[in-house]
Amino acid sequence: MVEVRLFATLRDGREKAYSLPREVCGTVGDIIAHLEIPPGDVTIMLVNGRHQKPETAVSDGDLVALFPPVGGG
Amino acid sequence: MRYARQVAMQEIGKDGQEKLAKAQVLVVGAGGLGLPVLTYLACAGVGCLTIVEDDIVEESNLNRQFLYTPADIGKPKGALARERLAALNPAIKVSWIGERLTQANAAPLVSGRDAVVDCVDNIATRLLANDACLRANVPLVEAGIDGFYGYVFPVLRGGACLRCLGYAEIASPKSPGAIGCTAGVIGSLEASVCIRLLLGMPVAPDMLTYDGTRMEFENVRIFRNEGCRHGEG
Ligand SMILES: [Zn+2]
Repeated sequence: MVEVRLFATLRDGREKAYSLPREVCGTVGDIIAHLEIPPGDVTIMLVNGRHQKPETAVSDGDLVALFPPVGGG
Repeated sequence: MRYARQVAMQEIGKDGQEKLAKAQVLVVGAGGLGLPVLTYLACAGVGCLTIVEDDIVEESNLNRQFLYTPADIGKPKGALARERLAALNPAIKVSWIGERLTQANAAPLVSGRDAVVDCVDNIATRLLANDACLRANVPLVEAGIDGFYGYVFPVLRGGACLRCLGYAEIASPKSPGAIGCTAGVIGSLEASVCIRLLLGMPVAPDMLTYDGTRMEFENVRIFRNEGCRHGEG
């Protein structure tokens, strides 16, 4: 399983955390698509604490954290 | 004694209070995040605060920017903030630079500071502060808010910076929704991290995320991207 955490407005209308089987999410982009998040809404995509790209492959046990742009001040 | 209650804290004491009195902090932005940051740093006796802000007060600022009043609309925020912070604590020095942070002024403004606190609303300025702080080896406190959500983390040499997290590829969101109580939570956290840095105390390298819709905080580990030039090149 891949552990997924959503942050900030990505949580609106969704859960804050998901455990997804590796079969439905080979890459970070697959996770974003599986959760029906518009791709442009995700800006920071961390895999085990390091920012990656949509095409980055994920493995069982990985922790994926997704953030929208949170730019207000 | 103005600082009696914090000098009584084991972590501060008389020595810590002297460190705060000698500290020089640059606060970039005197808006929703900047005002709680500046207010708490001023109250705590941080000796020298420099505000970078070129904006004027607009009516739509008043839901969160609590040092400004309807009579201030159209006036420069930095001048008003300086005046009101000086009244809050006449023992400290508050100065105001009426400019945006730019490629040209970032390095001289950051140079010699003990910490910089980022309180801006756009990615381009965040990156300027990020790069200038890393080059000068000055700790940066970074934060952002959107509605009931927010985050805060320190940018320190050796740890993750904004470029490590892909900020260089992000477009600034268009005026996200903003409410004062969230700016207060996150601005207070920025002030807390800043004060700990000034005292030479450890701060977690994590990103602290805040979810006011669930009443939750969550720490997210963030690591330096080995390929990141880190503003040091
Ligand atoms: Zn970096």
